[in-house]
Amino acid sequence: MDALIDKIRRGDRRSLARAMSLADKAGQEAQALKDRLRRSTGNVPWWGFTGPPGVGKSTLIDTLLGMLRQRGCRVGVVAVDPTSPVSDGALLGDRVRMMRHAVDEEVFIRSLATHRREGGLSDATLHCARLLELAGYDPVLIETVGVGQNEVDVAGVTDICVVIVGAGYGDDIQLTKAGLLEIADILVVNKCDLPDANRLLNEVREQLVLSSSATSGQAVYSDLTKSPGGTPDRKQASPGCTPKGMAPEVVGIEAKSGKDVDHLLEKLLELDRAARQPQQRQRHKQTRVLSEIRHSAMLVCEQALEDRLVAPATKELIAGLERGELSLDQVVRELSVISCQLSVEREPPRSGGRRLRTDG
Amino acid sequence: MNASRPKRILIGKVGLDGHDRGAKFIVRALRNAGYEVIYTGIRRTPEQIVRAAIDEDVDAIGLSLLSGAHKELLSRVAELLKGEGAENIVLFAGGTIPDQDLAYLRSLGINRVFRPGAALSGILSALEEALTGGRSTGGGATT
Ligand SMILES: Nc1nc2c(ncn2[C@@H]2O[C@H](COP(=O)(O)OP(=O)(O)OP(=O)(O)O)[C@@H](O)[C@H]2O)c(=O)[nH]1
Ligand SMILES: [Mg+2]
Repeated sequence: MDALIDKIRRGDRRSLARAMSLADKAGQEAQALKDRLRRSTGNVPWWGFTGPPGVGKSTLIDTLLGMLRQRGCRVGVVAVDPTSPVSDGALLGDRVRMMRHAVDEEVFIRSLATHRREGGLSDATLHCARLLELAGYDPVLIETVGVGQNEVDVAGVTDICVVIVGAGYGDDIQLTKAGLLEIADILVVNKCDLPDANRLLNEVREQLVLSSSATSGQAVYSDLTKSPGGTPDRKQASPGCTPKGMAPEVVGIEAKSGKDVDHLLEKLLELDRAARQPQQRQRHKQTRVLSEIRHSAMLVCEQALEDRLVAPATKELIAGLERGELSLDQVVRELSVISCQLSVEREPPRSGGRRLRTDG
Repeated sequence: MNASRPKRILIGKVGLDGHDRGAKFIVRALRNAGYEVIYTGIRRTPEQIVRAAIDEDVDAIGLSLLSGAHKELLSRVAELLKGEGAENIVLFAGGTIPDQDLAYLRSLGINRVFRPGAALSGILSALEEALTGGRSTGGGATT
């Protein structure tokens, strides 16, 4: 393991690429690598890029790569695309937009499939980003699957969350529904060359004023780190760079031509500098690990519940529910006692439903 | 969590022609067959293809060529892979490749060549075989 880590540190691409594949697997060796990585990384800001399909995430990353390279940065990219729900296969197409950087030694791009993980990130995303960090790439850019409705956990693991919307992608109602605006540290309106861009810019600004007066993200976040029973809220997952109660900045760009992307980069570098402060680093590392624990625990619990649901003893419970002898609550409670508290607590109990338990 | 992940295949077009219908068809077919397909787009250089293949740690590379420069381009790709110590990556080709070139391609380790009109089922089974057996085993041109 140490030999592998050494090779990666020395810049061996093959070892880095293979370690990424290993990190995408289960098993002891993979686990050892992942645990090792957690301890040796955490100092480089990760920039997350998220937004609806086709909005221009890859194109923007491509343009930013060019600019960051000019500044002498070595940049790592993890690009996530969805796994097909029918075949387990995936079309990883983000790289098409970034091919001009393919032979640049100082750029490393890795495509990942979601493996059906909800929230736009794959299990391996974190590990790949950490590996890039270990290999000396700084910053690390993460493009998440553009599902639009379910893009929340990207905020939990990245240091800077860039939400991209674009002309031609619905109206303000859809923006609000998607919950994208709440997780943004910076909001990008792309495709400003298209006719309805101005309208969208205005709508986004209005929406942000509304949502920033309704919540104060940082307050919720610090609740969460102090007591594990913090109120569930979208912003809780985000370490956030945007000061308390302040709406994120809105920047209009044309990713393809590069127009105004330099302005966006300035903003990003500002957030990046803030994210490098020791205090921020500590917070971000904590939130990231919390996301990781939550996700892993969830998987274990879901599996336990699934096993429980097909167990012979459960047939009685199901029959009891069908016959009206048992209430749904009773059945759920019965199952949860045996399998796992967490997986059942996730949804139903509205009153005092805590997302993270320390006592169970 | 599953210990075995889907195999990864890089599909790209080298050379100057811009027809990517065939390549995109294969991309979708492979995705539907359960592979993770990394698509690199058209007009790529052998250098770009090999670097992407290494970084993405793919199990196979499929190149589509219609320009007629297939011998030069494919031999360059094979050479670069060798230079990287990555000969274990299965290399296959698709496109308008005449019979008389097959022997040469075989000498490069390219045992699977799919020409326009090749049956999808044949392509898929040949690939599956190659991916479980490695580049040197069996196979031949499928038409
Ligand atoms: N008009 C216009 N089109 C753009 C701009 N930026 C990107 N596009 C186009 O939008 C399309 C999608 O771009 P991508 O960068 O692939 O978008 P994406 O968000 O990465 O897409 P997914 O990864 O599939 O979700 C491409 O055809 C781009 O050329 C822009 O500033 N203006
Ligand atoms: Mg993309």
